[in-house]
Amino acid sequence: MANLQIKDLGKRYGNHWAVNNLNLVLNRGEIFVLLGPNGAGKTTTLKLAAGLLNPDRGEILVKNINIHQNPINAKRHIGYVPDEPFIYNKLTGREFINFVAGIYRVDRADYEKRLDFYLDLFEIGSWIDEFAETYSHGMKQKIIMCQLLVHDPEIILIDEPLVGLDPKSSRTVREVFHAKKNENKTLLICTHTLSFAQEIATRIGIIDHGTLKFTGTLDELARIAGKKNIEDIYIGLTENHA
Amino acid sequence: MHQFTRILAINARLILQTIRTQGAIRLASFVFVISCFFLGSYYVLFRVFTYLIGVEIIGPGLLDRIIEMSFFVFFIMLVSSNIITSFSTFYQNRELDFLFAMPVKPATIYLAKLFENCLYSSWATMVLALPMLAAYGVTNRAPWLYYPVSVFSVFTYLIMPAAIASVLIFLIFRIFPNLRSREVIFVALGLIIIMTISYIKISNPHMLKILETESEQDLLRFAANMTSLGGIYVPSTWLSNVLQEFKSTRPNPFYFLVLMSVTVSVTVIAYQIAKWLYARSWMRIGEHENRNRRRSSLLKDFRPGIARNLLSKDILLFIREPSQWVQLSVFVILLAVYVFSLRRTPLYFTLPFWRTVVSFANFAYVNFILATLGVRFIFPALSLERAGIWLLGSSPIPRRQIFFTKYIASLIMTVILVQGLLFMSNIFINTDPGLSVILPVIGLFLAASLVSICLGLGSRFPQFNEDNPSRIAAGSGGIITALISIAHVGISIIILAAPAYNYLRGKYMMRPGNPLLVALCFLLFAAVNAAAIVLPIRIGTNALEKRDY
Repeated sequence: MANLQIKDLGKRYGNHWAVNNLNLVLNRGEIFVLLGPNGAGKTTTLKLAAGLLNPDRGEILVKNINIHQNPINAKRHIGYVPDEPFIYNKLTGREFINFVAGIYRVDRADYEKRLDFYLDLFEIGSWIDEFAETYSHGMKQKIIMCQLLVHDPEIILIDEPLVGLDPKSSRTVREVFHAKKNENKTLLICTHTLSFAQEIATRIGIIDHGTLKFTGTLDELARIAGKKNIEDIYIGLTENHA
Repeated sequence: MHQFTRILAINARLILQTIRTQGAIRLASFVFVISCFFLGSYYVLFRVFTYLIGVEIIGPGLLDRIIEMSFFVFFIMLVSSNIITSFSTFYQNRELDFLFAMPVKPATIYLAKLFENCLYSSWATMVLALPMLAAYGVTNRAPWLYYPVSVFSVFTYLIMPAAIASVLIFLIFRIFPNLRSREVIFVALGLIIIMTISYIKISNPHMLKILETESEQDLLRFAANMTSLGGIYVPSTWLSNVLQEFKSTRPNPFYFLVLMSVTVSVTVIAYQIAKWLYARSWMRIGEHENRNRRRSSLLKDFRPGIARNLLSKDILLFIREPSQWVQLSVFVILLAVYVFSLRRTPLYFTLPFWRTVVSFANFAYVNFILATLGVRFIFPALSLERAGIWLLGSSPIPRRQIFFTKYIASLIMTVILVQGLLFMSNIFINTDPGLSVILPVIGLFLAASLVSICLGLGSRFPQFNEDNPSRIAAGSGGIITALISIAHVGISIIILAAPAYNYLRGKYMMRPGNPLLVALCFLLFAAVNAAAIVLPIRIGTNALEKRDY
């Protein structure tokens, strides 16, 4: 069953189409990784799916709800993490997570269970009660991951999830994503870390100049590209279509 | 010097780039609003100055003293606002990490930031000063040279408070290295207040003592003794003397040279102190801010609910940001001083007629202050969501609710402030009972419309790339909002002047009132205010809903 459907999506900045005629269907229990060079349209696609940008063409259905016609109901099912982990500097990590969970009206019992679990998992420790202005990039990323997982969305949209994370936390993130997939959640991830994509993706999409060039499993892509190594496949495909 | 000009050039290019991306309509509306404000202020000031000059014996001297007093007040306000903004400019600006990592001398960074700080904290003074300079020049039939010299002198006058404020902050850090940012700001502001009060007490200016006499001899003696507010040792006296010199056919450049040389000296001293202290204190503050740990707060525990959480977050961010609450505290203290000064109203004004006039003037003044406060504190409210806009935009919150939560919170704070001020001032003025009821009710409408203008236009002209609220308010959107707010208060006061005069005539001159005129004026006031409430809300919510984040 499709959790996220993107139909003929287009977003224009001036005369430049950042995303053009993008079609994509993401099912439950799927991790879709979007790859592409800088400026290819990955972040724009993610922001459109999160309801942060208004499309110039097409539509996005979140569990069959049009996000631009019925944003509140659609966004209840979405959790979004941007590429730059901005948090209010003068809030502590705990206050920030409480704030988000309060807005999503998370059930109190679930909230407490999940918060304790993820704080332990990401080894946040006493940092949770420090102001965000004192956090490193990686710590902010961990806090943002926690806020996302505490409200447990059906569809997770993440831009560059591993930036700033230490190796251990990166592994934790991969494990969490696998767990979410097994819980039948849908994940749409943008990244430049090809090994990460290779490891977690059930399907991969390659976007370039705003257009989705290829979608499929890693094996299908390898067959099309005639190469086995994901780096070679990626470079081959993006160079051919540059 | 080369590095300094490069930093300035980059900042100037950023400003030009911002102007270029504004669009023709916005630029045109900006120019239109600014022009209307300048022309309107110039006209009002010209009328006031012409009237004063026409008053026999004391008129011209009184005008000069009023100008001088305005510059004195500007100076104190500028030092205070520079203290508050210098903290974010010299220590919290995100660009500083980048600049300090480059092979640039800290003193060079200091000079560039001093210039920037001066610009952001002094724009409002310049906006107010220019029409005043023009009106003063025209009233006194000054030669053409007066205009460039006076504008240049006022520009120079703005540099000194910025330099003094920065030096004060550096020295406090040096003497008390363990103080936190807010404590440093408080100590600096405390010093400024103590020094100002002491100086006024010592110099004991005659002009603050209102004369009550019908004797011409007394009047002449008063005019002769009408000394400067701060004496000859304060920059406001030098600046006002620069202007006054142009009344003679051969102006003496003495005060102009004093102003220039002292400004250059103060800046050089500040530069030398910055060489010694700036980099050290900048690194130190990074270490100190790391110690913050909060144990109790509105968001300490999880509580579901959108409005509750939005409001709690806004309150926490406000009370934890020194540049916000310190500046509000300064405003509140100044307003408290103003209100308590009304207790010492001269005997002449205790006559029922004048009491009513003073009450109405006080009402107008309070609302003009409110307009200024709104631009500084309410206008930036949506721009300050910068860090969390991705979250709010992707969360299941109606964007209108974000707007209205801020609207209601701002309105409650504004109403408390305005009603408190009106209540206290009406007691001290001993306002007529009828007006004591009517003015606070009218104040509610004005509060609702001013909050709407500030928040609506703040949503229409947000600056998500800026996290300093003073700078957000100092941007083109902030200036437009300030001028529209002030114009709105001005128009409302003009509309209400007719019923107020009618009331006065009926009550104290025993002349029949004109109920039709009163009703029409109140209807017009209601219509203007309804439009000023509804239109900005519509503009603000539409902008919030349709914007890409």
